[in-house]
Amino acid sequence: MELIGIFEYLYEQLVATGIPQVWVDLISLVVSAVIIFGILALIALFLVWWERKLSADFQQRMGPMLTGWHGLLQTIADAIKLIQKEDITPTKVDRPVFYWAPIICFVAAFAVYVTVPFGKGLIVSDLNIGILYIVAITTFTIISLLMAGWGSNNKYALLGGMRSAAQVVSYEVPMIVAILSVVLFAGSLSMVDIVESQALIYQWYIFRMPFGPIAFVIYIIAATAETNRTPFDLPEAEQELVAGFNIEYSGMKFAMFFLAEFINMFTVSAIGATLFLGGWQGPFLPSWAWFLIKTFGLVFVFMWFRWTYPRLRVDQLMEFSWKFLLPLAFANLILAGWMKYSGWFNW
Amino acid sequence: MRKLVDAIKNLFIGLITTAKHLPRKEVTIQYPDERWTMPERSRGIVILLSDKETGELNCTTCLLCERACPSAAIKIVYEKDDKKKRHLKDFIVDNTLCCFCGLCEEACNFAAIKMTGKYEFATWDKTDLIWHTDKLQEMGRDVPYEPKKKREPKPAAKPAEAKSEATAEKPAEPKIETEAPKPQEEIKPKEKQNETRTEQEDNNNAEGDK
Amino acid sequence: MTEGLRTEEFQVNMGPHHPSTHGVCRFILTMDGEVIVRAEPVIGYLHRSLEKICENRTYAQCIPVMDRFEYCTSMSCNEVFSLAVEKMAGIEVPEYAEYLRVIMLELNRIASHMIWYGTTALDLGAITPFLYSFREREDILDMFEMTCGQRLTYNYIRIGGVSRDIPPEFIPKCKEFLATVDHKIDDYERMLTENPIFMVRNKDVGNLSPELAIAYGVSGPSLRASGVKYDLRRDDPYSIYDRFKFDIPICHNGDCYDRYVIRIKEMRESAKIVRQAIEQIVDVEPNTGKMVKANFKPAKGEVYSRIENSRGEMGVYVQSTGDTKKPLRVKMRGGSFNQLQVMPELVKGVKIADVVAIMASLDIILPEVDR
Repeated sequence: MELIGIFEYLYEQLVATGIPQVWVDLISLVVSAVIIFGILALIALFLVWWERKLSADFQQRMGPMLTGWHGLLQTIADAIKLIQKEDITPTKVDRPVFYWAPIICFVAAFAVYVTVPFGKGLIVSDLNIGILYIVAITTFTIISLLMAGWGSNNKYALLGGMRSAAQVVSYEVPMIVAILSVVLFAGSLSMVDIVESQALIYQWYIFRMPFGPIAFVIYIIAATAETNRTPFDLPEAEQELVAGFNIEYSGMKFAMFFLAEFINMFTVSAIGATLFLGGWQGPFLPSWAWFLIKTFGLVFVFMWFRWTYPRLRVDQLMEFSWKFLLPLAFANLILAGWMKYSGWFNW
Repeated sequence: MRKLVDAIKNLFIGLITTAKHLPRKEVTIQYPDERWTMPERSRGIVILLSDKETGELNCTTCLLCERACPSAAIKIVYEKDDKKKRHLKDFIVDNTLCCFCGLCEEACNFAAIKMTGKYEFATWDKTDLIWHTDKLQEMGRDVPYEPKKKREPKPAAKPAEAKSEATAEKPAEPKIETEAPKPQEEIKPKEKQNETRTEQEDNNNAEGDK
Repeated sequence: MTEGLRTEEFQVNMGPHHPSTHGVCRFILTMDGEVIVRAEPVIGYLHRSLEKICENRTYAQCIPVMDRFEYCTSMSCNEVFSLAVEKMAGIEVPEYAEYLRVIMLELNRIASHMIWYGTTALDLGAITPFLYSFREREDILDMFEMTCGQRLTYNYIRIGGVSRDIPPEFIPKCKEFLATVDHKIDDYERMLTENPIFMVRNKDVGNLSPELAIAYGVSGPSLRASGVKYDLRRDDPYSIYDRFKFDIPICHNGDCYDRYVIRIKEMRESAKIVRQAIEQIVDVEPNTGKMVKANFKPAKGEVYSRIENSRGEMGVYVQSTGDTKKPLRVKMRGGSFNQLQVMPELVKGVKIADVVAIMASLDIILPEVDR
């Protein structure tokens, strides 16, 4: 049974009680927000554990083993520990900025999911500017990192914050251009429309030769940079900046950055799966299962990168983005446009 | 262009290398549940060995280990009787100072002090790391060891002395003296020991026995 | 355009507690944004006064102290001090003990280079290679432990020989290790050598010209990467190194990448030496030599001995008055010290990330600097 059936049934029951439509909408929104939050929190906890286990497997270690089955509850234990920790605010920080940075980061990470289709019909709100909304909201992350770097009053944090701002801004551009080529073909900014335009496997945008794979690779590279993961993890760069922007954070504030990072990784994977891998489309399994499989597949790739590659230097990072990725993305966009309007490969 | 192809190829080689390790078995062990078997020569914590049969310490208070220790971790408290023979009062090993070099074990001619494969001695209080005779002896109870290959040539004489009387000592004593290639301080006490009596002799005999 | 724009320089304290200063070194970096304007190393945080401690110990007791001099290659520290005292007192070391020394020294060099490989990768942000190299290093440490009982501070090579013979299971284990080590190093190379990210991070970074290297007394692999073919194992042979065939790898650019390549090659060369030694040792009559006793008094004299350590020339100067059991003066020389001195020259005008890369490639270890 599709999950959406349950939601529709509940919605109808709500309407049948006869309360005003405004309230029905409000209640359904709150309920879906809570559900999304719960699922994402679970996913984030799982991803932290998975990253640790995966890194252990890559390195022939065991990783967490003691808390729960193969350490499955380890992240929960860590979260509880972090909540208990004293929330240290260093004396000379810029208090409001320091205080709000993790919150903005955390909220922005969740707000994206308004328009992410988890399955057929499993979407909070199918905005007709869906992808634009996502791109806009993810940009909030930079603001929060910049705030954290600036507000911490620490030179390492400042460098980390500046790096992250420069990095995210420069990689946002090729990423958007890569996304645009998909939008061009789908003819819509709505996430649902984009998914529906790739009903069959050869219609997935990654298989639309030749522009699809290029756009996908550009998207993956830019998304790695966007989420500050190796080889683009310069804002945190432990060996250079110790911990970068979150150097002064502790306790729950740190946990917020930490969880937001993993949710962001899930976000970019989900968007990648939606835009290029057909989203929830797939045979046999329920739609949400296909969505999760594809998304976790991409998450695996990001983790694989992290446990394999060294890190680029900040100027090389910029050079790579502006001198290589961006021209390539534009060329690809032109190619996609030409393909679209010449009618070639327009299946 | 060629460079680009190479670069992409090598990025994939890196990914494949890590992926190859993915199914391999772990090389680590889950520490408190599983442990290594320490090699027989491991130099872990210092213990005092005692005779397997009598349960007495092998130590003859010769102070060689105390002198050999480069970090002054060993302190031997003794008391001289009227014959100038040393009686061990307390054998103190300060594990906070010990550098696990093994020189004390090498210096010992009586298989009395040994470094073992034991390595777990964390405590909450630093002062608990200063170990006295009883603790050192206790830790050494289950440690197997080779009785020191005595340079004493007569195995025949020793069994006679071994578990029993003080009478047999007279013959034994000169031998010990000559054989021991140690500094002078050590030989002296031996002579006296033999001349005198009691449990100390037993200890000596026990060592000889081994 | 940037000329008219005045930016404010600021100072960053890199260290003493920093993930990639290989111990506790502190750099006072004057920075203009991400670019280093000036760097000043501050050392001494790991000073343990080893030289003075040695003056208060008998010669036999100095060996465990020397272990702490450069704990990644304790065998070399043992060896260099033993060599000095043997030279001073004219002690002959039996052939068998010399073979054991060479085996241990070269295994230790591999182990040390493995630490370097791991930390270099780690400093550049790749975490997994670190675990791989430490996996193999464990094998070497296992061999050391079964021989002398310790994994880090061996106290194995003594004045007059070695402390004890190798156990019977050593040779098979060593052969097994040598059979696989080349494949493992291949694995390391696949992870980094040709990796484009690694290459752009290291090529033409921290170029050390041969003149500058010689002026600062840089030695070891870092010197050979600059094109100076100088290796004490060949140029001032000690022990029995003249009996083995091995190459001295050399590069010419003197950048971080060359220093990387040199060390990778050296690991293979060291394995080669150990292989030859293992083959030859079976024909030698076992005799680990007679270690000096606590009351050992060398004649009056002074001597400087030096060996090729994995981090450059390691030397010890020992002076004896002839009437005490303790050395009058012990002075140590470590390669890391000179390599740290040259750092400020190399890091001028580079990014902060390159400081880490350069430091990693010079393979500086702070206990050797601070003593």
